[in-house]
Amino acid sequence: MSVSPSGQARTPSFAERISEHLIGPCRLIMLRTPIHNVVTWCGSFHSAPDMGNKEELLLQHLVVSMLDKGAGTLDRFAVAEILENKGAELAFSSDVLRIDFSGRALKKDVKEVLGLTALQLREPLLAGEELAKAKDRISASIKRSMESTSAQASGALRRRIYGASHPNYIEESEERLEQLQRLSIDEVRAYHAAHFGANACTLVVVGDVDESAVNEAVENHFAGWPSRDASPHFAETPEEHDPGVSTVAIPDKENVDVRLGHALAVRRNDPGYIPAFLANFALGGNFSARLMQTIRDEMGLTYGIGSSLSGVSTEYDGHWQVAVTLSKEYVQRGIEETVKQIRHFVAGGVTPEELEEKKTTVTGAFKVGLSTTFGLAKTLLSNVEQGFEIAYLDEFPDRVESVSVDEVNRAITQTFVPDSLHITLAGNVREADLSL
Amino acid sequence: MDIPKGFAFEETSGGVEAYRLEGNGLQTLLLRDATAPVATFMITYRVGSRHEPEGLTGACHFLEHLMFKGSARFNKQAGTSVFNVLQRVGARVNATTWLDRTNYYEMLPEEHLPLAVEIEADRMRGALLQDEDMERERTVILNELDRGENDPVRKLFHAVWAAAFTVHPYHHPVIGWRDDVERLTPDGLRHFYDTYYRPDNATVSIIGDFDKTEALGLVHRHFGQIASPEEALPAMHVCEPAQEEERRVVVRQAGWQGAVMVAWKSPRGLEADTDALDMLSAILSAGKNGRLYRRLTDTGLTTSAWGGISRFCDPGLAYVFARPAPDKTHEEVESAIHATIDEIKENGITEEELQRARNQRKAQAAFSRDGSFSAAAELNEAIAAGDWKLYTAMQDRINRVTGKHIQRVAREYFVEHTCTTGYYIPDGEASS
Repeated sequence: MSVSPSGQARTPSFAERISEHLIGPCRLIMLRTPIHNVVTWCGSFHSAPDMGNKEELLLQHLVVSMLDKGAGTLDRFAVAEILENKGAELAFSSDVLRIDFSGRALKKDVKEVLGLTALQLREPLLAGEELAKAKDRISASIKRSMESTSAQASGALRRRIYGASHPNYIEESEERLEQLQRLSIDEVRAYHAAHFGANACTLVVVGDVDESAVNEAVENHFAGWPSRDASPHFAETPEEHDPGVSTVAIPDKENVDVRLGHALAVRRNDPGYIPAFLANFALGGNFSARLMQTIRDEMGLTYGIGSSLSGVSTEYDGHWQVAVTLSKEYVQRGIEETVKQIRHFVAGGVTPEELEEKKTTVTGAFKVGLSTTFGLAKTLLSNVEQGFEIAYLDEFPDRVESVSVDEVNRAITQTFVPDSLHITLAGNVREADLSL
Repeated sequence: MDIPKGFAFEETSGGVEAYRLEGNGLQTLLLRDATAPVATFMITYRVGSRHEPEGLTGACHFLEHLMFKGSARFNKQAGTSVFNVLQRVGARVNATTWLDRTNYYEMLPEEHLPLAVEIEADRMRGALLQDEDMERERTVILNELDRGENDPVRKLFHAVWAAAFTVHPYHHPVIGWRDDVERLTPDGLRHFYDTYYRPDNATVSIIGDFDKTEALGLVHRHFGQIASPEEALPAMHVCEPAQEEERRVVVRQAGWQGAVMVAWKSPRGLEADTDALDMLSAILSAGKNGRLYRRLTDTGLTTSAWGGISRFCDPGLAYVFARPAPDKTHEEVESAIHATIDEIKENGITEEELQRARNQRKAQAAFSRDGSFSAAAELNEAIAAGDWKLYTAMQDRINRVTGKHIQRVAREYFVEHTCTTGYYIPDGEASS
């Protein structure tokens, strides 16, 4: 039964609902939703770092962490005062090849806060006296990741799979800490000047949107933002490495994080992506998937286990990984049972009933994920970043529904190779005590 | 007002309508949200670690896990486990246990709301709670516990609460002490289930684009047949003795980033003084114009610093948490935290600070209506604190707080003899 008062009327497509404009070099997408008084936006632009030069990523992090420390004629407190007096939120982050920015504000404040967003991106003060504090914050963040078994196991897996110039590579924490201290404020400013510009800049605004006010703000503050001619340099494919084991020993961590994974020759825009996505989902996509049902629910070996297609993009290859947490006494058995389940899955594939269940899960979860302004804005932005038409979002549920069992089982045998799995562990564990 | 059969209308506030099933006392809250074709169904049981005696710590959380192991109708053997049935339609489904409450929720396409109501009603009294499931789940929970113990900050929070509360069950971590988790018995869990999982100890909340009559009809159809026991709910009489001197704890663990936590006893969640402490916390820690940022982080003493309060059934803690910058000592940071508080005790706050904090809360209130789940999450904590209207009336409560009130609560509650200070000191020898 339906308890909706609105009945079963056809939901207009995204293509019908959005309003899209090219303003200067920026693509602006707006979507009005029935929420009262709340507006959320997500945006990004290419920063085009040279991944062969690891200092560039740290410089990028430093610029991003200093964007809120003053801009134009406003010092850091004046910038903060504008936001804090309105209860508005604004955040910047570095996503390797892109800079992301997002915000949320009450309807009446959107125009001003969007203007402030542009000012911070375009004219940050990057004051010399703020550099040491920015370094301390990044250093603290790196040190926290050194305490995290999850971060260490994931980093070790990526170092086994990728070369240093791949966007998914994560450098050793100690090396990053050393490099960070060497960087100067002149280098930070030079990086901003060369890489922060309206390159493939997209802004998605969702909620109780006053379209003319947003248009005006973008026209006034983003339209004149020049592009930069920096071009990204990065490896698109992983390196060929024999499968092996890496252990990051961390004292006092009785829960051991384990990653099993290998490189993946599937890109986000390949026809085989959705079958591979569904295949992975059946194995480890949620609580009802094979790994949680066996390793956790039946055997009680872990609190959490799941698998994912990680770091997959239209621009470069990613990897497939299984992540599992194991108490020290169950590490050996937990890994053995996990590999056994993976082999069983690859050998036997999915059943038609299992695939139908996963399809309705994925399409239902897609709908649920679009129920907040942030969920909508982020999904629309990601869609643009991947180079898809807006219609792709409307078509996504049908594309999922149309995948056959044969396609998924072919994806399983072509995509997942148990004999190629790298294994990485982080925690209070010694490789010598294990037989892997 | 047209009130559906079987329900008594209680009140309305901030768009939320409250009803009660007349037959068994189940409270039902409805909040219409037509922004998306998605609904959230949530049931909140007023039982948490607060109700656990010595030796049974972790029982509520353990029970929460077992509630997913099935009932006679929804179980894995039949291919109808709770996760399986709900995730099949795209639901986000989970549960959480906290000090005063346990909640189960489903966020799902609105056409599947009846399924969520049916499942939660079924497992209110129909959970199997089988011995073999308990043994398998015990190692799962011990792994969850190990995961938590990996995190020194979590250990620091546990250590500070354990030191601050010596008698009251807020002393215990919600997940329980390891020895207890290892020894909990099916009888112990069954006792909790039979005592507290009953209609008159629960509130269901429905948030989404629903028809009121049909939604209440669903609740009536599925929950209406469940009787509340004749025995009254056990009364809670545990009272923490007054703290008479400062307490200190140190957590040592391998690591690289220390932390300082300074906490003071604070009043119950529903008291007006907690509103003032809430605003004080905002003034301390909200953004770069927060007192803590200006005094600690902007000066390079810490890499981050923030304050928080608890809104629980019983008196809890208000606290400040900070991460020392490299080459800065825990003692320097602790001293700066006290200096920041002392300044407010002595000189109060400015009207500008108060207005800024009010504006921030106003925006947050609007943001909390963005999606059915965020409203559910806030309602959940208000129910746990003792009154769901804490959610809907928060803006009015906040607007009543004055600068003088904030200065008074700073002087009254942030005092040395109710203070508990915790350091997380990374163990250099182990780290190296």
